[in-house]
Amino acid sequence: MSFSFNDENSLKIEHLAKRYPHKKALLLPLLWLAQKQEGFISDEAMTRISEISQMPFMHIYSVATFYTMFKLQKKSKRVVEVCRTLSCELSGSEAIKKHLLENHSDTYEIVEVECMGACGGAPMCTLEGKYIENVTPQMLDEVLNAN
Amino acid sequence: MQTKIVSKNFEIPHANTMEVALQNGRYSSLGKLFSHTPQEVIDIIKASNLRGKGGGGAPAGAKWQLASDYEGKKYLVVNADESEPGTFKDRQIISKDPHLLIEGIISTCYAIGSNTSYVYVRGEYEEFSDILQASIDEAYAKNFLGQSAKYPVEITVHRGAGAYICGEKSALLESLEGNRGHPRLKPSSPEPEFYFGEPTLVNNVETIASVPFIIENGAEAYTAYGTDCSSGTLLFAISGHVEKPGVYEAEFGVSMWEYIEKLGGGVKGGKKLKAVIPGGASTPILPAHLVMEAKLDYENLKSLGSALGTGGMIVLDEDASMVKVLKNLLRFYHHESCGQCTPCREGTSWVDKTLDKFIAKTATKKDLEVLKLVSKSMNGQTICVFAPAASGVIDGFLKHFEAEFLECIK
Ligand SMILES: Cc1cc2nc3c(=O)[nH]c(=O)nc-3n(C[C@H](O)[C@H](O)[C@H](O)COP(=O)(O)O)c2cc1C
Ligand code: SF4
Ligand code: FES
Repeated sequence: MSFSFNDENSLKIEHLAKRYPHKKALLLPLLWLAQKQEGFISDEAMTRISEISQMPFMHIYSVATFYTMFKLQKKSKRVVEVCRTLSCELSGSEAIKKHLLENHSDTYEIVEVECMGACGGAPMCTLEGKYIENVTPQMLDEVLNAN
Repeated sequence: MQTKIVSKNFEIPHANTMEVALQNGRYSSLGKLFSHTPQEVIDIIKASNLRGKGGGGAPAGAKWQLASDYEGKKYLVVNADESEPGTFKDRQIISKDPHLLIEGIISTCYAIGSNTSYVYVRGEYEEFSDILQASIDEAYAKNFLGQSAKYPVEITVHRGAGAYICGEKSALLESLEGNRGHPRLKPSSPEPEFYFGEPTLVNNVETIASVPFIIENGAEAYTAYGTDCSSGTLLFAISGHVEKPGVYEAEFGVSMWEYIEKLGGGVKGGKKLKAVIPGGASTPILPAHLVMEAKLDYENLKSLGSALGTGGMIVLDEDASMVKVLKNLLRFYHHESCGQCTPCREGTSWVDKTLDKFIAKTATKKDLEVLKLVSKSMNGQTICVFAPAASGVIDGFLKHFEAEFLECIK
């Protein structure tokens, strides 16, 4: 299986290439585009990125695995993240996590993450990357069952 | 008690749109800006005593001068990585008043002689960086940005991908160059940062967003707020056990306890205060008796054995378990160490695991010694200050709350 960026993304890449002094700087933007296009970053995508950025495949791989938001495996379920860092823990994130695992882990993948910069809205979760703040078990049931 | 300089437009609906932004004073400082030479602008920033608001408090004017003194191509990189636990202020600027940041970027670029700027936003903030991008597009359309602007500036939003350490400025530049976010060795004498070998100024979002007020009203209008050494205001954030968590701007030097009571709404549920982590998770904890005398400025918090950091306070009530709180923070450090330096990589893992024994109440006297020894080994022997900060956090808990740790020894 080979990978190519779709037309829309190819256009974006052309535009992006003009914004940076060096092709190498395209690495994170390209990884993001690949992940958006396929839902994860495949070896084939990294090969293509290696060609565009003119960096060795191993460099792409090493960078992709450094950052927690890049997914190198295809996801079967949608993702709910729950923040576990201090302000969220003080506001009850452990109970939220328990509730999610007990009631929603069949449909969603429940992932613990570190501080998301939403400590004023603790406890917080994200659904497919979108912030949900001041969450309660009832609220999560409503949102997750509706989606 | 609030003093709104940077947060002035936060409550205005749709202040992120160009139309509303213009009605509320955005871009009005540019007239004054262009009436000065770049060096005059730097001198104004120096006189305003503006200090970096990303955690370190370094004088902004001196950093601008360093970058300005170089000839040729140079860059402005705005640090919007905001990952320090307890800190959520930059996000307010990006999503509620992005035109203020753009206006600040134009001024800063003009002053240091740069035409190219990157805003590095943490990956999780996608919905907020989308708002910023839309505002940047508007600013291009209005010729505030781009090659037809009075002073040409290009702004590119660059999205991070989940790594706390990328907030450290040299790690951020590595990441922006397409590498792993590994901090670089520090130079021995003052110099700017470098992006692909070109001189680069890195400033926090709030630092840059403070610039338009100073340009428009002059340095003295800024030094009229705050203390002699800590001028102006900060977007302090408050979270944890308080009634009204949030971001409220205040002058430097106000009483920490008064801030907690008046703006934070006091300790949640009418409970007693036990302690406050004053400026993001990396600043040493202050027990209640010190909170009562603490003032929210760099010098005062330093004199109390802690630091102002990002100004993100985490409030702990009388029922909080200090062992559990420290465990939470050490798990964070263990998770976020970039792994380059052995004392940090091994140390954060070791103290994290040692804390498990305290939680299980199976710790021994030796474990407490281990905690102290490892903490010591993490200080002063690493590439960046991540490990020393973790060490300071551990020492703070043991200094003020050792009794709680002794209770967990079997
Ligand atoms: C481990 C670590 C994490 C940091 N994270 C951030 C951050 O998320 N945002 C930020 O603005 N500065 C952060 N800093 C500080 C930056 O290195 C840098 O000093 C700052 O961006 C400079 O801008 P300022 O002078 O305007 O504060 C961090 C520093 C360290 C050591
Ligand atoms: S101190 Fe820790 S975070 Fe900093 S460079 Fe070394 S290993 Fe990385
Ligand atoms: S601690 Fe959960 S968002 Fe900051």
